[in-house]
Amino acid sequence: MLDPTFASALAAIVPPPALLTAPEDTRPYECDGLTLYREQPAAVVLPDDETQVVAILKLCHAARVPIVARGAGTSLSGGSLPVAEGIVLSLAKFRRIVAIDPSARTAIVEPGVRNLAISEAAAPYGLFYAPDPSSQIACSIGGNVAENAGGVHCLKYGLTVHNVRKVRAVLVTGDIVEFGADALDAPGYDLLALITGSEGLLGVITQITVKLLPKPALAQVALAAFDDVEKAGAAVGNVIAAGIVPGGLEMMDREATRAVEQFVHAGYPLDAAAVLLVEADGTPEEVAAEMAEIRDVLTRSGATEIRVSADEAQRLLYWSGRKAAFPAVGRISPDYYCIDGTIPRAALPGVLRQIATWSREYGLPCANVFHAGDGNLHPLILFDANKPGDRERTVEFGDRILELCIEVGGTITGEHGVGVEKLSGMCTQFAPEALERFLGIKRAFDAHGLLNPGKGVPTLARCAEFGRMHVHRGELPHPELPRF
Amino acid sequence: MNTTDSTLRQGLSEVTERLVRDYGERAVTSRAVREQHSHGEGLADAGMPDIVVFPQTNDEVASIVGLCNAARIPVIAFGVGTSLEGHVAALYGGVCVDLSRMDRVLEVNDADLDCRVQAGVTREALNAELKGTGLFFPIDPGANATIGGMASTRASGTNAVRYGTMRENVLGLTVVTADGRIVHTGGRARKSAAGYDLTRLFVGAEGTLGIITEVQLRLYGLPEAISAAVCQFADLKDAVDTVIVAMQLGIPVARIELLDDVQMDACVRYSQLEFEAKPTLFFEFHGTEAGVREQAETIESIAAEHGGSRFQWATAQEERSKLWKARHNAYYAALALAPGKQAFATDACVPISRLTECVLETRSDIAATGLVAPIVGHVGDGNFHLVVLFDPAKPGEREKAEGLAARASARAIRMGGTCTGEHGIGIHKLDALVAEHGDAIALMQAVKRALDPNDILNPGKTVPFERAQRRR
Repeated sequence: MLDPTFASALAAIVPPPALLTAPEDTRPYECDGLTLYREQPAAVVLPDDETQVVAILKLCHAARVPIVARGAGTSLSGGSLPVAEGIVLSLAKFRRIVAIDPSARTAIVEPGVRNLAISEAAAPYGLFYAPDPSSQIACSIGGNVAENAGGVHCLKYGLTVHNVRKVRAVLVTGDIVEFGADALDAPGYDLLALITGSEGLLGVITQITVKLLPKPALAQVALAAFDDVEKAGAAVGNVIAAGIVPGGLEMMDREATRAVEQFVHAGYPLDAAAVLLVEADGTPEEVAAEMAEIRDVLTRSGATEIRVSADEAQRLLYWSGRKAAFPAVGRISPDYYCIDGTIPRAALPGVLRQIATWSREYGLPCANVFHAGDGNLHPLILFDANKPGDRERTVEFGDRILELCIEVGGTITGEHGVGVEKLSGMCTQFAPEALERFLGIKRAFDAHGLLNPGKGVPTLARCAEFGRMHVHRGELPHPELPRF
Repeated sequence: MNTTDSTLRQGLSEVTERLVRDYGERAVTSRAVREQHSHGEGLADAGMPDIVVFPQTNDEVASIVGLCNAARIPVIAFGVGTSLEGHVAALYGGVCVDLSRMDRVLEVNDADLDCRVQAGVTREALNAELKGTGLFFPIDPGANATIGGMASTRASGTNAVRYGTMRENVLGLTVVTADGRIVHTGGRARKSAAGYDLTRLFVGAEGTLGIITEVQLRLYGLPEAISAAVCQFADLKDAVDTVIVAMQLGIPVARIELLDDVQMDACVRYSQLEFEAKPTLFFEFHGTEAGVREQAETIESIAAEHGGSRFQWATAQEERSKLWKARHNAYYAALALAPGKQAFATDACVPISRLTECVLETRSDIAATGLVAPIVGHVGDGNFHLVVLFDPAKPGEREKAEGLAARASARAIRMGGTCTGEHGIGIHKLDALVAEHGDAIALMQAVKRALDPNDILNPGKTVPFERAQRRR
């Protein structure tokens, strides 16, 4: 419950219906894309403009009320999970595309603009916005920046951090700060990179300048079938090692292909152990040359069948399965848990083999569908929450996959963020020395810890409780102490 | 002298003694070596370190920084001293950590296109080591800088238009923090959404947040075909407009360099090139045979529409090397225009749509001052440099030159750009940073305070902080 004085001060800034306090009104905000965690906030505010955001933050700062900023609520790590005693600050009304400058190839947008809407608005100029998370029809650009979102085309065109020029944000104190610059480089510390992927812990984003790219004249996708998952994994490495940087390089295993085929009827080969989708884009000459090379590498890597899209409709059809993989898996299993680890590409075959072994051991099917070119795994563990013990075993299976990712030199999250979901994993991946820097930076921006508390960075106490000992490159901290 | 000062002095002499004892001949206090470590390649700045230490391991760097932190003694990291903005000057004395002996390439992962190097590896040494793997590290700021120095200043160079700057090419770091601890950031994964982006925070922090000791870098496959071409114009505006159109079309050119007629005149003389002293574009194309041909044809036709000459090709390795060597020696070529004069280089970067306007205004400004100041730059990124020549013996000329440079910074900022496309802030551009980034400076200071509460790491640079305030 909100303190009445605070509640009336809040109502003076954002009067109803932009202020929701009744439990039935705040219910829709109790969770995001990670439905395992739920919490109802004390209030939800939907400001119209930046002036209101500033006033809200100043008020909350003075009263020490926690704030959770929220875009479209599609986070897969609980990034916008509310705090019971705090408010949710929704940026849903920040939906304007402020300007598109085709000569500078940039667009200035508000944080509530949907990812895909930017490319749609830029299309008349022959431009597009490259990062394309699979949820791009729904997710908002503000959330993309907060989570440093990726997508199928990030292999060639980079993550959100590579495609954002400038971010305007309101700090917890109500001060407005611009990060980055319109030019290639901004001087001083790279605070733009710091705020990108900071999961709403450092500021509330109110405006973003994104880079736009010229739409390639032609794109073609090759669909290659393999009779063995490890061979497909090795083929991914071979494509990259051949110096080819495809527009997209995605992999689906049999479990995923079968789920998807029932859903979209894209004509995927159902007998294949794994399918790779490899896209080439550019001018027609470049695409022809690159596609010939891709075909060659895939054949040498043991592909049993290669099909290349004949036209744009077929290309979109081949991609439709990949983009719809999550909902398709949702149809064949009561529940699924999506993992988001990233590993060096060369480790792919071994890690995939281990996941298959664990899947048998736990008796939990696992569909692999992922950004193979980046080494970004998305194993989907299928389970039934109503079956006793299924959920616990699923979480344990997922944790083991993430630990394996760290062990081979990777990370516990490639693009979904830490949120509430991976706080413990952070204790495993980062040594106390690094975690202390994270906490120091947080304090520099938000001394009272009011912005999105309990997310992103674990406290050292939590890590101590969790009892994970961090081992980096086989170097034990304090090797002089006797152990085990 | 007050007590604080005398305590600090006492601490310094203790630290110096300890370093000499621990590091023997790798801790040097001779004036010549200290002088050599007091400046980069820009104008000399006041400030010699009290001692120069040559560590060989991460642990050694950590223990040096730990000692200095305990005694509140400044620590300045040093690579090979190619900075142009006074990054390495020891403004408050202290310990210079010369990383040149940490020069091992630790691993090369061919299949993953990455490598890990110690900070003191130079970019040329790295590329020599990569020979035979079919891979290369493209970032090329001209000088044969160390990878650690390039990461610290977020260097870019002639081919950033295609391969990005150090921001895009550093995957992870090992950093010694102000409290003398070793922190690993990032890693070999191509992307990570875990925790704040410490890697990019340390990249470009100019040694003020930590000392970079190891760098994980992205590598690239050597392109199948490379060719370079030269195109000359009667008019500077036409040359710049050609670049803008090419960039708007998104042609993936590997390098585009603009040299104005003054710079071209200097390069023709200095490097014995057979070209005219006219505004000139140097291009380099990377890709498949077909791709390279197609890119070149498109750009040649754009250039022709703007009155450019036919392309003169340099396809053989030696011809290309000669061309780019001439470009890299632009600074020395400019110096040779007027023997006896001094020079400094400035750096400006604007959104590409404002490039023509910015270059032309700068050009008229140069003419109005009567100084010689060639323009040269990586214009594909909207980035260009002035090499401002002045006679130190002539009263008022240095001030005139500095005024020109300050106006160039202000102009770039006014046009939505920045005063530091790639050389960094160091000490020369602190004022411009304040002008450009007023509202974010308090945050930068807060970050500095969080990571280096005693202000021992390269004090007085990049972000004005307590010690600088104390001096005033």
